[in-house]
Order: sequence, then structure tokens, then C-alpha cells
Amino acid sequence: MTSAVPTKQLSRKIPKQLERWRELILQFLFPVESDTWLSALRLGLGLQVIVYTLSLRDDWNYLLAGTGHGLISRNLAEALLSVESRFVPRLGWLVSLGAYVGLSENAVLSIAWVCLLGTGFSLLAGLFCRSSAILAWFLHLCAAKSGGLLSYGADNFMTVGLFYLMLSPLPDRYSLDWRLRKSPSKDPHLLGFWRRVLQIHLCIIYFFGGLTKCFGNGWWDGSNIWRALIRPPSNIIDPEILIRWKDLFPIAGVFICLLETGYPFFIWGKRTRTIWFTCICAMHLAIGLTLGMYLFAFIMIVLNAAAFGAGLVSRSRTESQRKHGTGIIDRRAA
Amino acid sequence: MRQKTVYLACLILHFSLILTVSCRETLWLIAHGLTIAPHTVNRYAEKAEAFIAAASGQNLAASNAFRRAVMTYLHIAGVERGYGYFAPNVPASYKIVFELHYPDGRVEYQLPRVHSAAAGMRLAGVIDEIARTRSDPLREYLVKMLAGSVWRDHPDVTAIRAVFGSISLPSISEFEQGKRESYEFSYAYDFSRTDKATKPKNP
Repeated sequence: MTSAVPTKQLSRKIPKQLERWRELILQFLFPVESDTWLSALRLGLGLQVIVYTLSLRDDWNYLLAGTGHGLISRNLAEALLSVESRFVPRLGWLVSLGAYVGLSENAVLSIAWVCLLGTGFSLLAGLFCRSSAILAWFLHLCAAKSGGLLSYGADNFMTVGLFYLMLSPLPDRYSLDWRLRKSPSKDPHLLGFWRRVLQIHLCIIYFFGGLTKCFGNGWWDGSNIWRALIRPPSNIIDPEILIRWKDLFPIAGVFICLLETGYPFFIWGKRTRTIWFTCICAMHLAIGLTLGMYLFAFIMIVLNAAAFGAGLVSRSRTESQRKHGTGIIDRRAA
Repeated sequence: MRQKTVYLACLILHFSLILTVSCRETLWLIAHGLTIAPHTVNRYAEKAEAFIAAASGQNLAASNAFRRAVMTYLHIAGVERGYGYFAPNVPASYKIVFELHYPDGRVEYQLPRVHSAAAGMRLAGVIDEIARTRSDPLREYLVKMLAGSVWRDHPDVTAIRAVFGSISLPSISEFEQGKRESYEFSYAYDFSRTDKATKPKNP
């Protein structure tokens, strides 16, 4: 009887505590957000799709052809993919569909290339945003999966970016769709949710990337930086020039480990966000310039810009205006 | 509120899968002694990796519907791989050179050819895959495919020898002492007009 009162209080307290936690989680996952980040993602991915398609202009059919015409058989990659799942989109589906209406494999591949390029331009302009995002995701996924052994990190991140873009509440207010069709305003909580998804995903990417690097001795003594820079086909800078900077390699190696592992902890804070965001973008820029991995560098910068960069500039401008009493507050920098 | 709950459930499922794939890849590296983690940890990493693999349905038969559904989702969301790029260490680099034998006894050397630097980057990935794969038939098939692409450009060639090797990169101190990048022979495949590869020749 004596213990009944505290038990009752506890049983009342626990649901209250749980309710509070649930509220906090929902507030975190569904913040009010403008669509500036979505514009950044759409424009960035549009540009990325264009560069990706144009960079493979001369090799598209050669790399993705079936047996007998290309570098390695597309059929092999698709057979390996079928072991894992038969439902993952691939170019073989389109080729079969093309054959059904009398189109040759080469013609289907060329059409796929043109369509992918078209979706890139369409995303950039913001015309038929949702359909373009879905088509870009589908065609790029087909190419990446049918390419199989030919695909690398940049393709994975493109798939991730396009996957989130097609699910996000399009169109954004800077798109042509918005201006021409006067689309209704999107739910700001939903915009916030999809931005959070991208933000959390990036945190996981960098945390595991950084953690795995921390487990390699070559990142602590800088030898991995040296190896990455002289390893073909990324050896675009003469080693004779690189060797002059050898003392910086251990610093750069440790810096990259800390930057990536610390990303999920320091990117959220108001004070550290600008520093971390700038350093991460600078790191990707350096990867693009020194290793020639410009597609990989660009997609990572786009994802970061959309997740944590959009609003950063206007927010700091607003803060400075508030500090100096210059007035106008940009409501978009929510 | 119901809409938010649905979104929340999808988010939990989505990130559980991403975390599963990422953890599994990191644990695999530790379990196989590829990291600086103490060897005593390897055993635990192996067990943890096996547990995660089982929990995510990776031990189920390839035809299992649950496994297929998970794999399909991972692929379409672009999250089927972990994020250990250039980690824990920068991997070795490989090279394949084709020795082209002409009917008049002439011998020429040729590298696999693509038109752009972007495609060159992708080609390097294929060559790395040839080195990494543990399946001999797959390795032979890939080499044969590459040899076939060279053959199409040089139809008068009677035989091709594909020489596969690793590129030995000098360390910083070795480079300062004058050592440069070198090529170490791994194995070779001979292809003739009958399109049948002879057994690989190891060093």
C-alpha cells in the first residue's frame, strides 16, 4: 500500500517522459524548412547528370554494349546482378523492350544516353521536376548497374542523391514548374524531413568513411595520401612535385581522419558547422583537382551543399544584419 | 500525425539497413586483419559480422523473398555498399598489357583502350576487380573480354597474350632514394584464334 503512490507517480511519469522524447524526436525530424536546400540539390544533381553523361559521350555504347561489341559484356554485370536481385533496373530491360519494337541495341543505348542528358537539363531548368528526377534516377541506375564492374563511388552517391530527389516534395520555388504552373506551397515540415534524411545519411557516410580510415596505419603517417596521389590512373601530379610537400602528408592524413569521423558531431553545431562544411568541401575539391575524380568530388559537394550548406550563407548574412541593425530578415533562412 | 508515423517508420527501416551495411563492411575489414585493430578483436569482429549478416538476411538462400526484397531496396537506394573508400588503406594498383602476335612474327604491345579520362577511371576499376576476384573463371572471362576488345581493333592478329601484373608503388623514402613505380608480373593468359585461353602462367 505504501509503495503504490510512488509506483503510480512513476507510471504517470514514464509516459510523460516518453511523450516528451517523442515530441523532441518529431521536432528534430520534421523541422520547418524552406525549399532552398531542395533547389540546391536539384540544380546540383542536374549539373552532375549532365557532366556524367557528357563525360561518357564517346564511350557510352562501348562500355555498356552486350557481348561482342563492347569493352566487357554488359550481360556479365547483369547476370551477376541477377544473383542478388532480378528486380533491380538495368539496361537489358530497355534493350529487350527496344528489340520488341525493332530497335537495335546501339539505338536503345543511344536513346538512353540522350534521355539521361535531357533529364539533366530538365532538372537544371526545373521543368517537369518530378518526372525528370524519376527518369534520371531510373536511367542512371540502369547504366550504373549494367556497367557493374565499371561503376565506382560517384555512381553510388549519384543514385543516393537522385533517390532522395525524386522522393522529395518537388517542385521547389526556383524551378520553372513553380513559375509556369503556380504549384501550391509544399509542407515545410515535409521539406524539413527530407533534408534531415539527407543530413543523417551524410553523417553516416562520413562517420564510417572516417572510422575505417582511422583503422588504417597509412592515414596516420601520411603514406596513404602519397599512395593515393601516385597511384594510376589518379597520378595526375608529378611525384617530383609532390615529394616537396611530403611533410604535409601526415598532417593531411590525420586531418582527413578527424574531419570525416568528427563530421556527425561538429556539423550540427552553429559555431562549428561553417568550419566543417568549408573543410569538407575543400577536401572534396582537392580530391577532384589532385586525383582527377571530379565526378566524385562534385557529387559530394552537391550533397553537402544541399544538406548543410543551403541557408548557411543567408543565415550568416541575417545574423550580421541583425548585429549591425540593418533590418531585413530573410525568412527563407529558417 | 499518422503521416509522420509512416515517415518515421520508413526512416528507421532505411537507416537500419544503411547502418547494417556500413557496420558489416567495417567489421569485415577488422575480422580479416586488414586494420590496425589488435588481433584479439578480430574474433569478436568476425562474430559480430556474422550476426549482422544473419540479421539482415544475408545467410538466407539467394532465392529467398526477404533477402531479394532487401537486396533490391539496397540497390535502388544506392546503399548496397559501405563507405570505406581508400580505407583502411589505399589499395594496390594493377595493370594489364596485351602482347599482340601478328602472322608475320611481329609483336606489338597494347593497353586496353577507352576514349576519355572518365572512362579510364572506370576501366581501372575493372582491372582492380580482375585482381581482387577469387573466382578463376570470372577472372579468365574478364581478361578474355578485354582481349576481345583489343582483337576487334586488330583483326589480323593471330594470338594475344594478356599479361596481368601489379604496380609496385615506392614509399616516400624509396622514392627519395631513386626507386620508381615498377610492374610485377602476376600471371598471363594466352588466347588464340580458337578463342580458348590456355591455363594462366604464374611467375
